[in-house]
Amino acid sequence: MHKSIVAAIGRRPRQSIITAFTAAALAGAAASPAWAELYGPVPDAPQMGGTLDVGMLVEPPALDPFHQAADARIRVTVLIYQGLFYEAADGEAKPLLAESYEVSEDGLTYTFQLREGVKFHNGKDMTAEDVAYSYNYIRDPENGSPGAGDFAIIDSVEATGPLTVVMTLSEPNAALPMTLGNKYGAVIPAGYFDDENARTAMNSQSVGTGPFRLAEFNPNQNLTLERFEDYWEEGAPYLDAVNFAFLPNSASMLVALRNGRIDVVNLERPQDVAQVEGIEGLVIERFPSLNQKTVDLGSETPPLDDVRVRQAISLAIDKEEIMQAAIGGYGQVITTIVAGLEDRWGVPASELPFQARDLERARALMEDAGHGDGVDITLTTINGYDWMDPAAVTLKEQLGEIGIDLQIQRVDLGVWIDNFRSRQMGFTFNDWATQPDPNLLFFRHFHKQPEGADFRNWNNEEASELLARGRSESDYDERKDIYAQFQKVLAETVPTIMMFSSDHIVVRDEAVQNYSQHPTGWYYGIARTWLDE
Amino acid sequence: MGIYLLKRLGASIVTALLATFLIFALVRMVPGDVVAQMMGQAGGPEAEAALRAFFGLDAPIHVQYVTWLGDALRGDLGVSWTRGIPVTDMVVSSFLVTLQLGLVTLAVATVIGVPLGILAGIYEGRPIDTLIQGFNVIGLSAPVFWVGLMLLVAVSSALSWSPPLRFVPPTQSLADNAAILVLPVSSLALLQVAAYSQFVRQNVVSALQQQYVRTAVAKGLPTRIVFFKHILRNVTIPIVTFMGLILIQILGGVVIIESLFALPGLGRLLLTAIETRDYPVVQGALLLVVLVAMIVNLVIDIAYHAIDPRMRVS
Amino acid sequence: MTMTLPERTRPASPSWPVRLLRGARNEPAMATGLALIGALVVVAAVPGLFAAQSPFAINSAATLQPPSAAHWFGTDDVGRDLFARVVHGARVTLSICAGSLLLSAILGGFFGLISGYFGGLIDQVLGRLVDVMLSFPPIILGIIITGILGPQMVNLVLALSIVYMPVFFRIARAGAMSEASLPYVEAARSVGLRDTTILGRHVARNVMPLMLTQYMILFPLILQIQAALGFLGLGVQPPTPDWGAILEQGKDYILFAPWISIFPGLAVLITSLALMLVGRALQRRMNSR
Repeated sequence: MHKSIVAAIGRRPRQSIITAFTAAALAGAAASPAWAELYGPVPDAPQMGGTLDVGMLVEPPALDPFHQAADARIRVTVLIYQGLFYEAADGEAKPLLAESYEVSEDGLTYTFQLREGVKFHNGKDMTAEDVAYSYNYIRDPENGSPGAGDFAIIDSVEATGPLTVVMTLSEPNAALPMTLGNKYGAVIPAGYFDDENARTAMNSQSVGTGPFRLAEFNPNQNLTLERFEDYWEEGAPYLDAVNFAFLPNSASMLVALRNGRIDVVNLERPQDVAQVEGIEGLVIERFPSLNQKTVDLGSETPPLDDVRVRQAISLAIDKEEIMQAAIGGYGQVITTIVAGLEDRWGVPASELPFQARDLERARALMEDAGHGDGVDITLTTINGYDWMDPAAVTLKEQLGEIGIDLQIQRVDLGVWIDNFRSRQMGFTFNDWATQPDPNLLFFRHFHKQPEGADFRNWNNEEASELLARGRSESDYDERKDIYAQFQKVLAETVPTIMMFSSDHIVVRDEAVQNYSQHPTGWYYGIARTWLDE
Repeated sequence: MGIYLLKRLGASIVTALLATFLIFALVRMVPGDVVAQMMGQAGGPEAEAALRAFFGLDAPIHVQYVTWLGDALRGDLGVSWTRGIPVTDMVVSSFLVTLQLGLVTLAVATVIGVPLGILAGIYEGRPIDTLIQGFNVIGLSAPVFWVGLMLLVAVSSALSWSPPLRFVPPTQSLADNAAILVLPVSSLALLQVAAYSQFVRQNVVSALQQQYVRTAVAKGLPTRIVFFKHILRNVTIPIVTFMGLILIQILGGVVIIESLFALPGLGRLLLTAIETRDYPVVQGALLLVVLVAMIVNLVIDIAYHAIDPRMRVS
Repeated sequence: MTMTLPERTRPASPSWPVRLLRGARNEPAMATGLALIGALVVVAAVPGLFAAQSPFAINSAATLQPPSAAHWFGTDDVGRDLFARVVHGARVTLSICAGSLLLSAILGGFFGLISGYFGGLIDQVLGRLVDVMLSFPPIILGIIITGILGPQMVNLVLALSIVYMPVFFRIARAGAMSEASLPYVEAARSVGLRDTTILGRHVARNVMPLMLTQYMILFPLILQIQAALGFLGLGVQPPTPDWGAILEQGKDYILFAPWISIFPGLAVLITSLALMLVGRALQRRMNSR
């Protein structure tokens, strides 16, 4: 991925005007259109047409970007729906349906200029009214969107011209453009949700502005998207259709891949790559990711309410060994931030406490905490998350070294979510991903209640204060410093232990050209993919 | 006969009502609901409450039950909470897939299992009987999903072939449909052929022990005539009823095979609906499974009752 | 599932194990089955005797090794010896199945006896409940019940016990009904024996052989369901070795390390086979009387 020339919102504070067209001009690539960096590198001479068969292990429960938080939903809907910005792989928010924007001196008023000539899948032109409607809908908690919390800092959204939208914030928020990305919500026609069946109607007919539109969605079978002829990017996309096949287990997936039933897979278990290596006609590529596999330590249950026990666990864990067992080494061990954000926001491991394995010290801490004779702890894992089982037995061995007898309890995802949401998670594995911004990564999970969700009952004043500052600060260096301090608090008091980010391992048929995997795991790259047939 | 029928029917209706209550209660006892699922690790309490109200989950449970039952009796099973498709459509279309799988398996099991069973029964105690019985015991012992997994891998390695991923009904393309079904049917059929042949063998053996068959043989009637006239007639009824039982067993047990081979059948629908806590779909699909099992049982009972007077005692 | 109910059985003598062994002499199939079961019971009782290695010890230097002299069944994804896991799994798997089936026999038998002996309203109500339970597909029932109760091993046993409870209920009920109409029950009543005594002492004892036969017949079936639930991830908790759970773990490596799936599958197959041989011999004996 090329480094962007467009100034990131964080780097150029206050009055900044960014237009996609100046970006193209600056890049000096006259032939290269303004959206050159959206979704992935634009191919030189793509062949048009063809259907791409993609294998998916997890099926999206529904396609409604406003009410479904499931990651499998986001992976596919980013091709159908668009927000005002695109969360570029390098951590910058690039204008998508917005063309440029201005921020007022106090950082509270954003004025967005919208892209011209954008059409919805239903044929209507996109206007400022639609944008205002969409963001006003999602930020109202009454409408039940899981994303509502992210948009709570917005006070008002108004259309002030046919293609001008003004957003007012209650406090400055450096991550606003990234929040207006594609995880939750999208720009849809004004008044769409007035119809009470509108939510589920999104499973049969799409109303987005994206490069593909919904053709069919069959439960337990497939999702087919077709090329949207009136898409605003000229020439794109290149495929006639994309067909996602939902396969319930990796054995069937690998067999289908080997026998040419599917063209491309982003492996859910990176170590599965060993089962398709050396097969003629298959190409294997590796991409960094923004996901993280963690151990969460909910402070509501003894002995985890004692910070010394949490610290001891942190010192007893050998992340490398767990990663080897869990994903066969196809990833990156991390400290306090996901791999994809390490460069921009990370802190060197040497500056963080409780990182290197130190069993002596861990045992001493356990002794201090009154658990010198050992203690029982139950680790919760989730059924269907294949990496968790080998990781759990490895962790059991490691914690056994400091006198912790780990009991493993595997529960169904629905049960796990229920516990998590009610802040009764105890000691559990977790697997989550982020958009490339530290505020979006940390705030909700770690700020104390009620502003944040504080799932781990951490209730840390210092951390909360830092998170609040990081959210409103817009100077990159300042922000970086604030989040570095936050990460030190996180490492010191251990509400979570971030173990590793697993890489995206993409296996594709050699006919599949120019597929790149976005670090979120979302399928943006398909908008740039073509088939050489 | 009429009274028996009425009583049996009445009992079935009571059972069905009990079943609806149980279905309704059981799915709600599993922790977590659709709202938690939709929210995942995001969302806040207000948004959660709003969604819960949207799905009617804030109403008292008995009100929810009565509403659902009332609608169900009128043939309306509601709309899937995740997909928005009428539950009836989802359940029927996936049931057709499962039914086809069941019927094809049944046909294979009958065509292979019945002759095997007759053969074994006629030659009771001979080597061929031992051979067939050996096959039966192995067929009945091998876990169906394990056989399926092994078949999938063996076929893929040997032939570099695996079934198409998208289900095609036979009405659309018979060849594609067959390609999709060949492995799942084979995995299921091993068990059912064994069960069938086992069952038929028992019936043939006991028919051979009947006095009149022995007499016929003793009288020197040609074997062929004894076979067709006496034995076959004797085993036909049990064979037919056994079909019903096997069908129920297949319908209830295909969950894993459907998951393994990515078939969009009723079992897989139920499984994913349970995972996403899509209550209307779980309820609708379970209701169908339970009703089909009940109806088949009822038909078998009534058939037995009509055929065999001894059954009337109970 | 086939199930034959003889009209009634006479009080039996000598005791069934003796008859069983006597019968095995002239039936090679049954003898094979009994020998296999005997071996399995020994393995399940003292697995350490057969597998020198630990079923829990992980070894990151020896993951996914194919079968060899050091690891007869190979190793799994965290380097545990699969032979040890399959051998130790015998105890876990078989005790879950035996326990849950025993529970269903006790509960089903108890309610069945009451239902059949007393008849009337009790019989009607219990009968309907059992009909409902029978009409649920076993695997789905298992999924829902383990979902409700949580994934502990006790709950798995409970969930599995519900699956075949109706079968025992029906047998006990039919047995009790036919016994209740026999003269000796009348006689016992007339000399002032209480219903509970008659039920417990006489009726239950006479129904017992039928129940035992059914127990053997259902054992391989419950084994299959237990393995299937394990395959769906609803079995015992890791790292406990269990055949179904090893199968579930193995499916992810099926193309690369098929031995993880082959051996526990064979273990289920052989165990079912042994149980079936014995169960069928017993059933034949029941029917011929």
